[in-house]
Amino acid sequence: MKKLKVAIYKFSSCGGCQLQFLNLEDELLDLTSLVDFALFYEARRFVDLGPYDVAFVEGSISTPHEVEIIKKVREESKIVVAIGACATSGGIQALRNWANIEEYKQYVYPRPEWIEVLKYVEPPSKYINVDYEIRGCPINKEQLLSFILQLLKGKIPTLLIDSVCLECKRKGNVCILVVRGVPCLGPITMGGCGALCPSYGRSCYGCYGPMKDPKPEALNARFKELGVKLNEIKLLLRQFTNWSKEFRKVIEEYE
Amino acid sequence: MSLTGLYVGKADSLRTLFSELKRLGYVVIGYRVVDGVLRLGELNSFDEFAQDVEDVQSPGRYLLVNGSFYRHGPDSPKRFLYPPNLTLFMVSNDWIVSIPEYEKHNFAFFGLKPCDLASIKVLDKILLGVDEYYTSLRRSLVLIVENCISPGGTCFCSTMNTGPRARDSFDLAYTKLNDRLVLEAGSELGLKLLNLLEVEPIDDATYERFRTVMRNASEKARSGFELNGLPEGLELHIESKIYKEVAEKCLGCANCNMVCPTCFCFDILDVPLINGSAKRVRVWDGCLNFTYGQVAGGHFRPDLWARYRHFVLHKFAYWIKQFGTYGCVGCGRCITWCPTGIDLRETVKKILMGG
Repeated sequence: MKKLKVAIYKFSSCGGCQLQFLNLEDELLDLTSLVDFALFYEARRFVDLGPYDVAFVEGSISTPHEVEIIKKVREESKIVVAIGACATSGGIQALRNWANIEEYKQYVYPRPEWIEVLKYVEPPSKYINVDYEIRGCPINKEQLLSFILQLLKGKIPTLLIDSVCLECKRKGNVCILVVRGVPCLGPITMGGCGALCPSYGRSCYGCYGPMKDPKPEALNARFKELGVKLNEIKLLLRQFTNWSKEFRKVIEEYE
Repeated sequence: MSLTGLYVGKADSLRTLFSELKRLGYVVIGYRVVDGVLRLGELNSFDEFAQDVEDVQSPGRYLLVNGSFYRHGPDSPKRFLYPPNLTLFMVSNDWIVSIPEYEKHNFAFFGLKPCDLASIKVLDKILLGVDEYYTSLRRSLVLIVENCISPGGTCFCSTMNTGPRARDSFDLAYTKLNDRLVLEAGSELGLKLLNLLEVEPIDDATYERFRTVMRNASEKARSGFELNGLPEGLELHIESKIYKEVAEKCLGCANCNMVCPTCFCFDILDVPLINGSAKRVRVWDGCLNFTYGQVAGGHFRPDLWARYRHFVLHKFAYWIKQFGTYGCVGCGRCITWCPTGIDLRETVKKILMGG
């Protein structure tokens, strides 16, 4: 079988999503016989130039320079896969979209005029056509592996797009919202993480972002009944995927 | 059907029963207290069996407190007889198909309530003789049922005719009357078990008490709608605006499907493995999920209200046509475990009233 020629790119991000490739410790050696990591700065210095079969793209687009690079990535890759909250919705960096970037620059940099950034942090899909999205902060390594293996089999990769609740209930987790009355974003968040946080007794932070066809207004109404304050609800949604279309709409209403 | 009529025994008869089931080699499954809820699981000793607790259930809320009687938790027998995740077959890298050898279990459900017994009867109509895994477990299944002396805040078994007293299909049914048990055998095994206990035929006074307790319980588990004409009534109001109203509160999260003891829909996942082989896995799915209605070429229920409507109509109307029984047993789990507390009883009532 021909090896899959893969490039892994990093934009504005922490590097934690591409680290999930390396975290596939037990499978990594076997994976290298199926996948040619032609560009993977976090793992190797050697670079094999494109074109690539698949580009995994981590991070958000926050500078004009990154816009140029992401367009080039699209040109030289058959399949572009956005990985992680930053590359699928803007991630934590997008929190600055809610503030005044010029003011931030003044606080942080001695020469703010040297800093050239876009007004809004956006996911790559704002600038290019993205073929697949793997969500999460960080992505789930099992889901990543499953995605690659599906591609290798010539199958159209399927990823869960329904709620975290689905995984919670299949797993047999106790519902934190119903039993403890603690606000949990699970019912509006896309599954795929294996219901990680609820499995450890923590309510869902929504790092996978909105599921397909989410109803945040209905969940918020329930949170209010449970005594959660409006400002707290806003902060719940203003986390990892605050800039996703569906969460943003609700946050804007609450501003 | 009762083989014996009613007998009276001591409360500690349950311990004897439990030991006997263990001695006969059964994997005894009953409710244990785990993380503040009642969960169905294998009981290694009788002391693990939940007692002295009560589940306080209301739409969208579940709380465990000290008490003397409980109904259930999020798990139903479905979790064991029709597991959430089951490998159907494997394909090796040279295309040899193999079917996994499932471990052969002899399950005995201990202290199951009549609604959950009823849910097994419903699943029988769908899966028995069809689903190999279910069928193999069902053949050797032992059902020790506790009649429900105090239905909970979301229960409506009386309406669905599934409780609070189990009438048939059990091996042994018991009812707690203070420090005594009223017992009834429903099978030859049940009769054998009953013979091991110190029991005597029920006396008139105890029988009267039993009847009163059951009658009061029955009054508590009514929904406010009747079964008579229900499927027709719902289908007549298929255009009801209530569905859209309720869907405003619905999250489409499918918790209702997952906790429903009769929801049997599944999704099929083809899972390639790193060694080149692959497996086909069956996982629980539900009609409230967006992807449920997604098929090659489009989507047959993209609107959430239509998905909710399907859930209601399937349980109370289509199921009758398909399987000759209702798909709802009135356990109330979908009401309790709905994150926003949508009350199925209210939905049905409002629709029937012409809303």
